[in-house]
Amino acid sequence: MSEPGHWFERDPDWFKKAVFYEIHLRGFNDGNDDGSGDFRGLTDKLDYLQWLGVDCIWLLPFYPSPLRDGGYDISDFFTIHPDYGNVDDFRHFVDQAHQRGMRVIADLVMNHTSSDHPWFQASRSDPEGPYGDWYVWGDDDTRWAEARIIFLDTEPSNWSWDPVRGQYYWHRFFSHQPDLNYDNPEVQEQMLNVLRFWLDIGIDGFRLDAVPYLYERDGTNGENLPETHSFLKRVRAEVDARYQDRVLLAEANQWPADVVAYFGEGDGDECHMAFHFPVMPRMFMAIRREDALPMVEILASTPPIPRHTQWGLFLRNHDELTLEMVTDDERDYMYEEYAKDPRMKLNLGIRRRLAPLLDNGRDEIQLMHAILFSLPGSPVLYYGDEIGMGDNIFLGDRDGVRTPMQWTGDRNGGFSRADFQQLYLPPLMDPVYGFQAVNVEAQLRQPNSMLRWIHRLIALRKDHPVFGLGTYEALRPSNPRVFAHVRTYEDDIVLCVHNLARSAQAVELDLSRWEGFIPEEMFGRTRFPRIGELPYLLTLAPRGFFWFQLRKDETE
Amino acid sequence: MIDERELIDFITTQRWFGSKTRDVSHSTIVDRSRLREDPRLELMLVEIRFDTGTHETYQLLGDDGGLDALGDPRQVRELVHLVRTNSKRPAGDGIVEFASTEGFTGAGHELREARPVLAEQSNTSIVFDEALIMKVFRRLEAGINPELELLRFLTEHEFENIARLAGWYAYGGRQMDATLGILQEFVTGGQDGWERALESMADAPERFLDSLHGLGEVTGRMHSVLGSDANDPAFSPEATSAESLGLLTATVDEEIESIFMDLPDHNLELEPIRGRGEEVRERLRLLTNLGGTGRVIRHHGDFHLGQTLWADGDWVILDFEGEPARSLPERRRKRSPLRDVAGMVRSFAYAASAAKLLRGIDPPVAWEERARAEFLEGYRQTIDQNLVPSGAAMDKLLRVFELEKAVYELRYELNNRPDWVKIPVAGIVRMLEEEVPV
Repeated sequence: MSEPGHWFERDPDWFKKAVFYEIHLRGFNDGNDDGSGDFRGLTDKLDYLQWLGVDCIWLLPFYPSPLRDGGYDISDFFTIHPDYGNVDDFRHFVDQAHQRGMRVIADLVMNHTSSDHPWFQASRSDPEGPYGDWYVWGDDDTRWAEARIIFLDTEPSNWSWDPVRGQYYWHRFFSHQPDLNYDNPEVQEQMLNVLRFWLDIGIDGFRLDAVPYLYERDGTNGENLPETHSFLKRVRAEVDARYQDRVLLAEANQWPADVVAYFGEGDGDECHMAFHFPVMPRMFMAIRREDALPMVEILASTPPIPRHTQWGLFLRNHDELTLEMVTDDERDYMYEEYAKDPRMKLNLGIRRRLAPLLDNGRDEIQLMHAILFSLPGSPVLYYGDEIGMGDNIFLGDRDGVRTPMQWTGDRNGGFSRADFQQLYLPPLMDPVYGFQAVNVEAQLRQPNSMLRWIHRLIALRKDHPVFGLGTYEALRPSNPRVFAHVRTYEDDIVLCVHNLARSAQAVELDLSRWEGFIPEEMFGRTRFPRIGELPYLLTLAPRGFFWFQLRKDETE
Repeated sequence: MIDERELIDFITTQRWFGSKTRDVSHSTIVDRSRLREDPRLELMLVEIRFDTGTHETYQLLGDDGGLDALGDPRQVRELVHLVRTNSKRPAGDGIVEFASTEGFTGAGHELREARPVLAEQSNTSIVFDEALIMKVFRRLEAGINPELELLRFLTEHEFENIARLAGWYAYGGRQMDATLGILQEFVTGGQDGWERALESMADAPERFLDSLHGLGEVTGRMHSVLGSDANDPAFSPEATSAESLGLLTATVDEEIESIFMDLPDHNLELEPIRGRGEEVRERLRLLTNLGGTGRVIRHHGDFHLGQTLWADGDWVILDFEGEPARSLPERRRKRSPLRDVAGMVRSFAYAASAAKLLRGIDPPVAWEERARAEFLEGYRQTIDQNLVPSGAAMDKLLRVFELEKAVYELRYELNNRPDWVKIPVAGIVRMLEEEVPV
C-alpha cells in the first residue's frame, strides 16, 4: 500500500516542482508523551503539512544513534531509533503522507558511521575479521594532510588513535564518526542494501549527507574524487533499475562548478538534486548591503545543469549558516553583520535561525522567501521558519536551531504533554520568539500572519511550474538595489522584481521584448499598464517585491 | 491517428471538462488499451496541458466512429461485460482491470437497453435496462476514487440506503493507478430529492418537508457508520488536533479572500456582497471561536438534494465522489461530518430559489427554515454524539461549513451558471445578517 505509484501520477520531474520541508523529528511533535518527537506525533501533524502545501518531507536521520551529532552518527542503518517508534510506525507515516499527496525522503549518511556501530566495534577488535577492512585505518596520522578539517572547533586532525586496534582511523567529521572504506566492495554492497531496504518500505528518496568525502587518495584533498562519482553512478543505476520516481539529493558543500559534477553526465546519471550552498550566504549579503550584485554574480557563475536535475535552495537549515563557500572578506562581513555575539559562530558558520538573523523583520523575511521561491531550484523550508521561530544560542553545538516546534501557546508549546524537565531541549520561552508569542495555532487564525503568507506563497508557486522548470534570465537594471529576473516555461512568463533596499526604490526595466504584454501582479491579480517601447517604470516599497505574469493583451 | 487539435477540441468542449476558463496548450495520449477488437473499443488516457505547464488527465473511450464510444449502446454494454467477467486488458504501459462484486457475477443476462444520464456534469453515466448504472470517471487522478472506497465500506458495513456496488474498473500503470469507473445497481422508480423538492413546492410541500426528517435520520446513520470502524485506517474517526480549528479557519478564510479578489466587475447580482469580503472574514472569525469540534471522519463530501433519491418510501444516497473541483487527496481528507450537513442545508436554500427561477413558483412561507429544522432534528436523533460537538458549538461549526459551501457555490456559479449567482449571494448576505449562535 505504501508504494508511491499508488498515490502519485508518474512524474520523473516531480522534485523540480516540489516544495521541500525539512523536519527534525525529535523536535516536531511528541506522540507518546516522553518528551521527544516521534513518528506517531509527526503522523498527527500531516494535515498541517498538507495544508501548508508541502510536497516532500525531508527527515533528518532517524536511525539508532548515540546522538552525539544529531543522529548523523548512525549505529544501525536498518531500523528506527527507539525514541521515534518502530519500522511499522514509520511505514504507517510514509503511507499516510503519500495518501495526502506528500512524498518523503530520508537523510542517509554513507560516508561514516558512529563509532558505536557494531561494524566499527568489530573492525577495531578484530583486524583480520570480516569487518577488519570496513573502515580506513593507518599506522600513522600524516597521510592525506591536504584534506581540510571540517569541524574546526572540535577536531585537531582527521585521524584519531584507536588504542584497541593500535592504529589510527580516518574521520572527516567528528572523531566518533569513523569513515567507511569505500575501496572495500563489501562496504559498497552493504550501503546499496541500506538504500534498497528503505526504498522497499516506500520512501521517495534520500538526502545523501556528506557525499564528497567517500574516498581518500594520495595527493588530493579527498573531495569530489572520480571514484566517489563512479560509486554515485552505481547507486543511481541501482535505484533507476528497481524503482520509479525516486530522488537522490546530494549534500556537497562545494562551489557550483564542483557540485554540478554530482548531477553526472548526459541528462543526469548521479544525483537528481544537489544543494546550492553559495547562493544562500549571498542572499544574506545582498539584503544587508542593499545590493543585488552578490546574487547576480553567484547565479551567473552557476553552470547549467542536466535537463532532469535540480538545485535545492534554502535560507536556513538544521546546520549552521555555512560560510565555507565565500571568500575570507565575505566571511568577515557576514560575521560582522550577522554574528555580533561570538556564541553565534560555529565552525565556519553562524548557528542562528532565519528570523533572528533578519532581526525578526517581517518585510525582510518575506523578501528573502520571495527571492528564494523565485530562483531556479526547489525551495527547502526548515521546520519552524514558516512561523518565524527563533533560536537559543546558549544551547550547545547546533541545538539552538533545533528546539521544539511551537504548535500552540499552551504548555511546552503544544509539542509534548511530558513534564518540562523531560523534554529533549527546552522550548523557546522568551518574549519575542517564545511559544506564547510565536505558534502555529495563533498564526493559522491571523489572516496576516507569517504562516498564512508563506502558505499563499507556496500555493502560488505550485500553480506555476515555471518556478521549478523555467529558464532564468537576469535583468540588469541600472538601479543596483533591485534584483530582477525573468522566468519562462512554455507560455508562462514571470517577471520577478525585488527591492533589496530599506528605502523605496524606482527602477526602469528593459522589457521591450514583451512589448504589448500586460503584467499581472500574481498575488492580487491586479493588471499593470501595458508594456510599451520605453523602459518599464516600477516603484517598489522598502524591501518590497513584485511578481508579474506577463500576459498577452487579449483586447488587441 | 488522432491529431492533437482534434483531441483538444473534443475534450475542451465536453461538459465534463472542468477547466473551461484555462488556456490549453497541448494534449497527448499517455496510454491506451484496446478493450475490444471488433467493433473496436479503445480506452485512452489523455493529458491536457495548460499554458502555465500544469496538466489534467482525462479518460476517453474511442471507436471507429470517433472519440465518444459511450454514445453507442453496443460499446457501453461491452464495458459491463468486461466487469462481469473480471477481465483484464493490457495497455501500452500498464493494465486495465475490471472487477465485479460477489453477488453480481452470477446475475449474468444479456443487457438490452442503454441510455445516457443527461443531467451528468463531471462524468458520464449510462443506465442499462433500468437495472444497472455505469459511471465513467472523466478526469483522472492517482489513487483510489473515494466513491469506490465509500461504496465498498458502506456495503461491507451494511448501510442500506445506497445503491449497491456491482463492480468497477481501474487502470494500473507506469503513469498512475486510478479508478476509471464504477458499476452500481440502478434504483428504479425513484425520484431525486431535488426534483421532488421543486415538484412538491407548488402543491404538497408538507409531505416533502416531513420526509426531510427521514433524510436527516438517514444522513445521521450514514455518518455514524462511516465513523464506526476504528480498525480501518482509511475510515477510523480521529480526534481533532490542537490546530485543526485553526486549519479549518485558515482554509475557509483563504477561500473567502480569494473569491472576493476574483469577483468580476459589472455583475449586478454581486452588488449585495461587493466590497464586503472583510465583513465575511470577520464573521468567520466570530463563528470559529468555539470549543470542541467533534471528530473528523470520511464523509460524503458533496452532499445535496441532487445526490439523494426517494424510492419506495425511503431515501437512497448517491454519488460519493466528493466535490469534483477539489483534488483527490483533498476529497479523501477526514473532516467533520457537519460539512455534509451544511451541504444539504445549503441545498434547501437552492431549492427555494430554484422553484422561483426555474418553475416560477413562489416557495411557501418559511419553507427553507422548515426544511432545515426537519432535517436537523432527524439528524440529531441518529448521529453518533461523539462525532459532532454539542450545543452552540455544533450550530457555529455548521455555520462555518455553510459559509464555506456558499463561497464554493459562488465560484461555481460564476464559472458555470451566471443566472444562479444570486443564490449563494443571498446565502452569504443572510449569514452576515443573522445572530451568531451562542
